[in-house]
Amino acid sequence: MLHIDDLTYAYKKDEPPYRYNMQVDAGEIAAVMGSSGSGKSTLLDLIAGFLQPQEGCICLDGKHLEHLPIEKRGVSILFQNHNLFEHLSVAKNIRLGRKEATDKEIADILEEVGLGGYEKRLASELSGGQQQRVALARVLLRREPILLLDEPFAGLDEQTKSQILNLVREITDRHSLHTVMVTHDPEDAKRIADRRYLMHDHRLVSQ
Amino acid sequence: MRQLRSLWAGWLPGVLAALGLLGFAVMLFVVLLRSAGTISFSSIDPQTLHVVQFTLYQALLSTILSVGLGLLLAWALAHQPRFRGRSLLIALFSSSLVLPTLVVVFGLIGIYGRNGWINQLLSWVSGHDLGSYLYGLFGILLAHVYLNASFASRAFLHAFESIPQEKYKLAKSLCFGAWQRFWIVEWPSLKQTVWSSAATIFLLCFTSFAIVLILGGSPKYNTIEVAIYEAVKLDFDLPTALKLALIQLALTSVLVLLSSSFRSSITNLKNSTARIIWQESRGIIWLQRGLILLFTLFFVTPLLSIIVEGVDAGLWQIVQRPIFLQALVTSLAVATLSALLTLLLVLVLSSAKRNFDMPTRLGRSPWARLWSLLITLSGNLYLAIPTLVMGLGFFLLALHSALPRTLWAWIAILTANVLMSLPFAMAVIYPQMMKISQRYDKLSFSLGLGRRERFFAVELPYLRGVMAYVFALSFCLSLGDLGIIALFGNESFITLPWYLYGLMGSYQSQDAAGVALVMLLLSVTVFVWITKLFGGRDVTH
Repeated sequence: MLHIDDLTYAYKKDEPPYRYNMQVDAGEIAAVMGSSGSGKSTLLDLIAGFLQPQEGCICLDGKHLEHLPIEKRGVSILFQNHNLFEHLSVAKNIRLGRKEATDKEIADILEEVGLGGYEKRLASELSGGQQQRVALARVLLRREPILLLDEPFAGLDEQTKSQILNLVREITDRHSLHTVMVTHDPEDAKRIADRRYLMHDHRLVSQ
Repeated sequence: MRQLRSLWAGWLPGVLAALGLLGFAVMLFVVLLRSAGTISFSSIDPQTLHVVQFTLYQALLSTILSVGLGLLLAWALAHQPRFRGRSLLIALFSSSLVLPTLVVVFGLIGIYGRNGWINQLLSWVSGHDLGSYLYGLFGILLAHVYLNASFASRAFLHAFESIPQEKYKLAKSLCFGAWQRFWIVEWPSLKQTVWSSAATIFLLCFTSFAIVLILGGSPKYNTIEVAIYEAVKLDFDLPTALKLALIQLALTSVLVLLSSSFRSSITNLKNSTARIIWQESRGIIWLQRGLILLFTLFFVTPLLSIIVEGVDAGLWQIVQRPIFLQALVTSLAVATLSALLTLLLVLVLSSAKRNFDMPTRLGRSPWARLWSLLITLSGNLYLAIPTLVMGLGFFLLALHSALPRTLWAWIAILTANVLMSLPFAMAVIYPQMMKISQRYDKLSFSLGLGRRERFFAVELPYLRGVMAYVFALSFCLSLGDLGIIALFGNESFITLPWYLYGLMGSYQSQDAAGVALVMLLLSVTVFVWITKLFGGRDVTH
């Protein structure tokens, strides 16, 4: 279980701090909603280790993560944009997740996300939805237990978004991931999330 | 349609100005070619060949060193966002663009010259010094790297800071090391800026004059520009000067054409706000801090030496001399007129170019691309026509003209200064004008705003800041230039750089130090004061 307990962070000393409490079981998706600037993405930065909390803990199956460097936290991230390096091929982008991955493994994973045979295509040649699928393929290859999604569906059309949401659901179930999804769309949360949280008045509140 | 018709008034002055500039270039070419009628180009003598080879060689080495060092410095600054005094250092390195070349050379002599600080320190520590090691290729490279690496680093830093934060976060989550981060995340975003800066630096070093004239030391280290100057001014050998000028013109034209595909001219480098989130390893932190400190030392010591020696030189006596006052007044008049003319020309050219580039204006009309290209070419003439070549053209015109020599000197120096500032000015004003148009054109046209209303109500608030920047930049570039004045300068027409050059040449080091300090203070004060006083708003805000 991913357990976040009284995690506190303030950008400036004279501002009230953001305070987070949440739980996500293996194979679960927790959706974090709230208005722009409410501190949703700050939570992801804290879990990933881009920001250091002032207080509180982040525990994965009882192990404290908050003092570990980013690379040892077992985290994969998906943003709205810039998830791939456009000048590299699809296969090279995926292999960045695990250097020793074989061509067969990459081909299988691409098959799993519905992009079989795309290995040699340049990332810049793909549509937005295809780029998100490649990024998800890399998540699968990395086999990290925590998946952080920072509004990765915001720029997609309804049909593509629906497909990617289903894919996230499938991947989370099949690989028992702890997925934390930041979204401003309550419909997305209703569709795939097991737990829903709302950022309100600098606090993360369970819905 | 009223708005569209009013656009004619927007492009006509610009097109006429562009045609005038291109016509001037053609006229110059004809003057040089006609005068060169009797010169044989069938065989180039070994001495000329050596000059051409050395010009290319020093430009290539200067470019490699400047880009390499600039890239290292930008990398260090980009990844040390909390380095104490970082903003001040970035502003200081950016100022290299407005430092008068001759003043920088004087400062470098103060540190690396025979009696410079390094030799003094070595003598004091060990009793021995390095003797005279500055003059020659080393000195030329040192000065070129000093001016260009700091300037390039600012452009590279801007490119580093334009990389989306998500890419860095992604790279960190994928456990990239510093090298992998550079190669996969940073280099793809940097390479366009690196190539374009390298092309610009190569052209600037290829046509460098004042630095080579003073630090070259001997004919062995002459570049084409210096060889032209010596042929005209020292030997009065006009056929040789013409031959060199035409070779120079041919080479720069080829270089400008070759580099045009990746040379995006000089960008506006005013702001630096983005911060890269990345916790570096201890070794890398020390490397980055060490690089910043070393470069700061390299950059600041020559400026310090100018201040120290200038203050010691008895500044009050120097500034009271009639010859100094004459040079000061001429320089201020030249710089002010050049800056005003540059500003007028860049507004007219940029406005016309924008009309041809914007689909909401005349962008869809036939010939729009051709006119836009012609305007771009006219704004970048300086890169193809080096100052001394231009000076030689004016010199030949003056020889066969009844007009007074001083009048020719004014025409030549103002033309050269304006053409020198235009590529920088266009690179700053034009993108801002485009941004304003992209954001407000449809609204302005739908409201039926006339041309004058559009300019004063919509554009001026956003252009004011960059106009002040262009004025200050052009003023400082003109104030410090030792180009045309080297051919036209005499007792009755003297500028501060020409006066300083004379003092340095006659070993009046104390007086030279005082004049160098005045020029340094004048450039920095004018640049900081004008840009602060008229600072406008950014269209993206």
